[in-house]
Amino acid sequence: MAEALSQRRAAGFAPEAPVELHVNGRRHRLHLDARVTLLDALRDSLGLTGTKKGCDQGTCGACTVHADGRRVLSCLTLAAQCEGREVTTIEGLTAPDGGPHPLQESFVRHDAFQCGYCTPGQIMSAAALLEEGRADSDEDVREFMSGNLCRCGAYTNIVAAVRDVAAAGGADASV
Amino acid sequence: MLPFEYARVTGVDEAVNLLAADPSASYLAGGTTQLDLMKDGVLGPERLVDITRLPLRGVTRDADGLHIGALTTMEELAADPVVAGELPVVREALLLGASAQLRNMATIGGNLLQRARCRYFRDPTVPDCNKREPGSGCAAVRNTARMHAILGVSERCIALHASDLAVALVALDAVVRLHGTSGSRSVPLTQFYREAGTSPDVENVLLHGELITGVTIPPLPAEAATGYLKVRDRASYEFALASAAVVLVMRDDVIAQARVGLGGIGSKPWRSLEAEQVLTGAAASGEIFREAAAAAVQGAWTVPGTAFKVELAQRTLVRALRNVSGGAR
Amino acid sequence: MSTVESRDVRGSRDAAPVIGTGMDRVDGARKTAGAAGYPSDVQLPGQTHAALVQSTVAAGRIRTLETAAAEASPGVLTVMTHRNAPRLPDGPMTALGASPPAPLRDDRILHHGQHIALVVAETPEQAAAAARLVRVTYDTSDPVLGLDDPRAERMDNPWGMDADRGDPAEAVRTAEAKVSGTWTTPDNTNNPLGLFATVAVWERDALTVHDSTQWPTMGRVTLAKVFDVPESAVRVLAPYVGGAFGAGLRVWPHVILAALAARVLRRPVKLVLTRAQMFTSVGHRPSTVQHLTVASTGTGELVALDHRCTSGVAMEDDDFEPCAATSALAYACPNVITRDVQLRLNIPDPTSMRAPAVGQGNFALESALDELAHSLSTDPLELRLRNYAAEHPGNGLPWSSNALRECYEAGAERFGWSRRDPEPRSMRDGDELVGYGMAGVSYPWYAQPCKARATVNSDGSAFVRSAATDIGTGTYTVMTQVSADTLGIPPGRVRFDLGDSDMPQSPQAGGSGLTGALATAVRDACRGVLGRILDLVRDDSESPLRGCTIGDVTVGGGRMHLRGRPAEGESYADILARHGQVEVTADGASTPADAAELGMAPAGAFGAKFVEVRVDADLGVIRVPRVVSAIDGGQILNEKTARSQIIGGTVGGIGQALFEETVTDAGTGRIANATFGDYLVPVNADVTQMDVLFVGDPDRATPLGTKGVGEIGLVGIAAAVANAVHHATGTRVRSLPVTLDQLL
Repeated sequence: MAEALSQRRAAGFAPEAPVELHVNGRRHRLHLDARVTLLDALRDSLGLTGTKKGCDQGTCGACTVHADGRRVLSCLTLAAQCEGREVTTIEGLTAPDGGPHPLQESFVRHDAFQCGYCTPGQIMSAAALLEEGRADSDEDVREFMSGNLCRCGAYTNIVAAVRDVAAAGGADASV
Repeated sequence: MLPFEYARVTGVDEAVNLLAADPSASYLAGGTTQLDLMKDGVLGPERLVDITRLPLRGVTRDADGLHIGALTTMEELAADPVVAGELPVVREALLLGASAQLRNMATIGGNLLQRARCRYFRDPTVPDCNKREPGSGCAAVRNTARMHAILGVSERCIALHASDLAVALVALDAVVRLHGTSGSRSVPLTQFYREAGTSPDVENVLLHGELITGVTIPPLPAEAATGYLKVRDRASYEFALASAAVVLVMRDDVIAQARVGLGGIGSKPWRSLEAEQVLTGAAASGEIFREAAAAAVQGAWTVPGTAFKVELAQRTLVRALRNVSGGAR
Repeated sequence: MSTVESRDVRGSRDAAPVIGTGMDRVDGARKTAGAAGYPSDVQLPGQTHAALVQSTVAAGRIRTLETAAAEASPGVLTVMTHRNAPRLPDGPMTALGASPPAPLRDDRILHHGQHIALVVAETPEQAAAAARLVRVTYDTSDPVLGLDDPRAERMDNPWGMDADRGDPAEAVRTAEAKVSGTWTTPDNTNNPLGLFATVAVWERDALTVHDSTQWPTMGRVTLAKVFDVPESAVRVLAPYVGGAFGAGLRVWPHVILAALAARVLRRPVKLVLTRAQMFTSVGHRPSTVQHLTVASTGTGELVALDHRCTSGVAMEDDDFEPCAATSALAYACPNVITRDVQLRLNIPDPTSMRAPAVGQGNFALESALDELAHSLSTDPLELRLRNYAAEHPGNGLPWSSNALRECYEAGAERFGWSRRDPEPRSMRDGDELVGYGMAGVSYPWYAQPCKARATVNSDGSAFVRSAATDIGTGTYTVMTQVSADTLGIPPGRVRFDLGDSDMPQSPQAGGSGLTGALATAVRDACRGVLGRILDLVRDDSESPLRGCTIGDVTVGGGRMHLRGRPAEGESYADILARHGQVEVTADGASTPADAAELGMAPAGAFGAKFVEVRVDADLGVIRVPRVVSAIDGGQILNEKTARSQIIGGTVGGIGQALFEETVTDAGTGRIANATFGDYLVPVNADVTQMDVLFVGDPDRATPLGTKGVGEIGLVGIAAAVANAVHHATGTRVRSLPVTLDQLL
């Protein structure tokens, strides 16, 4: 199980580098170990703990954020890869008028979560789904939300919450 | 993850030269395989060269076919109008192949190079894995193996190549373009991969430092029909237990041309020339589909956990042929 | 206290009662904003990060253990092993059995994945990398892993729950019909989405632990004993838990290791399990082999039930899984024998997973009944109705509530059960074979003592709290509703807090027992506050309420008034102001109902599950497009969250039925599929139409009439799915999960 280290590594090789991240419209200058993922940078360095770690292997969707407007998994993205990209997390998700995103209210109304741990990832994924134009049917929502596991089993309510917002005009819907 | 240096490149030659000069360096594109395996302790490059900003992104079309930049994401390719309109086999393989998040990250080049999902390969605490440690044996063979391969495998390794897209691309006679320090070359995808054979650790013909720069799908006859069928336990977000990519050119009820790719069962994305031989020139029927399917799984090598795939793969191919041929039973 | 009395102090014309309504979750805004703080979100100044090293063999001893490379790795602060860690005592006995054995006791290895070292470093990346540098060799012995291994130590009747009624052997011999078989269920892993996390910090001799637990009160008691400090010096915090499903019912070894490392380093230590470690470190639902015989008359009246179950348990730990025992209480049957046996194996500690024991036992029982119905050409629903237990089958007492008949009838009606053609393989839609299946559920009653504290503030708002947890069940919300109604204060003016062991002690969120115990304690505390407020005005000549007792008043809108005379009252704020009180506080408590005292058998929830499956006739692919769950949950406190509980349980049941199986490698005891890519749980696309009906009346054994609904949603789904698969295909599958390769 233990690995043979190269000489360089045995001598304490641990590269760090400056990284500039743009998160939720703010610019952050960080100095990070090259290994730090976007997920860990958000949570540990920026205190944005709304983005969750459920597997750290790209299999659960709890760490979903937007990079340049597209939903991605922050656990399999290095922080350094995100330089120059606009990253949006659950803390920065808003309606066009700056208020809460209608999905957030719709999730509460439809009880689209229980423990709440997967919820930020579900909402970030759903917000992207609306932008992708994939919320036209229950079946589409189910398929295109299947990368976000919910172990509490709130799926049917998640679909209802997303469809409700889609029917009202997506992110532009007034709350 | 063990410590590594991160380097970002903007030119293809810069990338290739960096890798060539450093045997411990790896490319980093979408990261969905590379970082996962580094976290598992399977890979430990001392330098990661981030190629995501190289100008290898986008899809173009000319008389030679559809040219796909290697850094085009799965999601971008699925949305391409030509793919969406004329190549359902590619679009379906992409959409069934990963979650939307992963499709936004994973690149076409990276997808072709994805590594086995075998949990014995992916766990360095397991001592016997010929793919990870050549000569050490294969733990999967004597353990649970439901998600493993039955074609192109032996007791040395039964790891599965889990890409859906690659199955569609081998059926389409796609060609990969490679670039290295000594220049560029093109390799048909069917010749790009190697069966597990005696060296399961060598999965393809790529040399260290060589970069996939693009994939070309040659034009199909206008009347070709294509489709991809994926069979799995869950309704979504799971690797295939069996899948089939089918391209048929029908003249009335007769199959003028047939191309068959199979997934979920091979140590590489499986092209079945045997099935194609049975189908070509025959009238479409359930009987001929079953005969083709039987030909496709000739030579299957199974362990108790994978034995069911011999039957499942055949039924999957029969159904896919029926669907694409317009319902012949 | 009676149900009638509870209605008296709530409700008035100016404030409709909120109990029972589908009020939105009070923690919803925080959860959807990403602002709810789970244990893994805690960050303390000077915090260090820990990573576990786990055994890679299942049995033997550590021969060599080299930590030098890890210790020299950048940022590493300490590497704790059994060689340098102080010896700690085991935790105490709890209401759920013994504590897990203490970590790092010696060089013995009892299972693959056992913690053998803890690496602590400045950053999580450094700790994880250094953990891979610890070199271990073992003197390995041949592990005992299978339920068929004759070497396994056998424990008969481990919980004293084996049942004997009548003469089952003779009844089976003479029965007109019988079904006999072996059913198996695999290991399942709880796998909450939230990675279990512990953040431990010592300040002088006081320990604070933020932990993914379902039971802070027990956590405090356990940590106090292990670290030999007074209970008052330990605080366990879990205001939010990212799911648990039973995994948070114990103080696991990794929690103790984090606290120990924090004491050694004198700095806060954070330990977050990896997903793979979630399979070996926080329990699992143990596999079972169940031999079952059901025998009946020619018209389907049960005459005998013989259920024998064997399950595995860790070498030196306890687990409560009486899978066969609960079958004795499900139906009216004169001759019954149940036997539960546990075998000691070199496996990670099993523990409760949503509907422990019942989830496994019900699969065998309800599958066997389906086979019996089929052999008798009787409708499976009719067979259940015929064997309905009008009294408690164990003690013959009348039930405190039982609407199982209504569950069957209302569920069948909603589902359209009458459209079922009884012939297997007779219903088809294109390539798909259609099957209908059903199962019944009688969930055991469970209750524990509980406490709560309520305060009314000078501004008329209320603050109520208890050391309970809300693992997604809706505790925050329903207790806000109970408080609001009892105090007559709008829910928006009530704050309910939980997840802190400094609060009044509470039982675990588990066993479907928390809501009943806690709601009663909360109501008691709130009524105590009302009594104290009336005490304030007893001789108050300015108060229209002077001299009143609680029976004389009605509450609502933040005030109290004489019953039937709304004008003659005053607000809490006015009373407190006039009497110079900043707040009025009272404690409340509840104790479990006593069957003998009640003259009734306290009932758990009942349910009937109806499932449609579609099986591709060629490919064997199984889908569940539709489930109807009819549930007798007594008084439902919140229609919305209770419905979510049932749906969530149903999704867990679909996982158990079709996907979930923790695979252990023969020989090494390594878990082979410890990822979400390989251990499949249902995804969104697997879940389509979920209907939930609540039927029945408030239960007579609890003051608010509640019965827990956290687990019953799961039970019966596996059997109903397997029964529907038989109906669709004609193939009986007696082992879970039911997968397509069994249908080819």
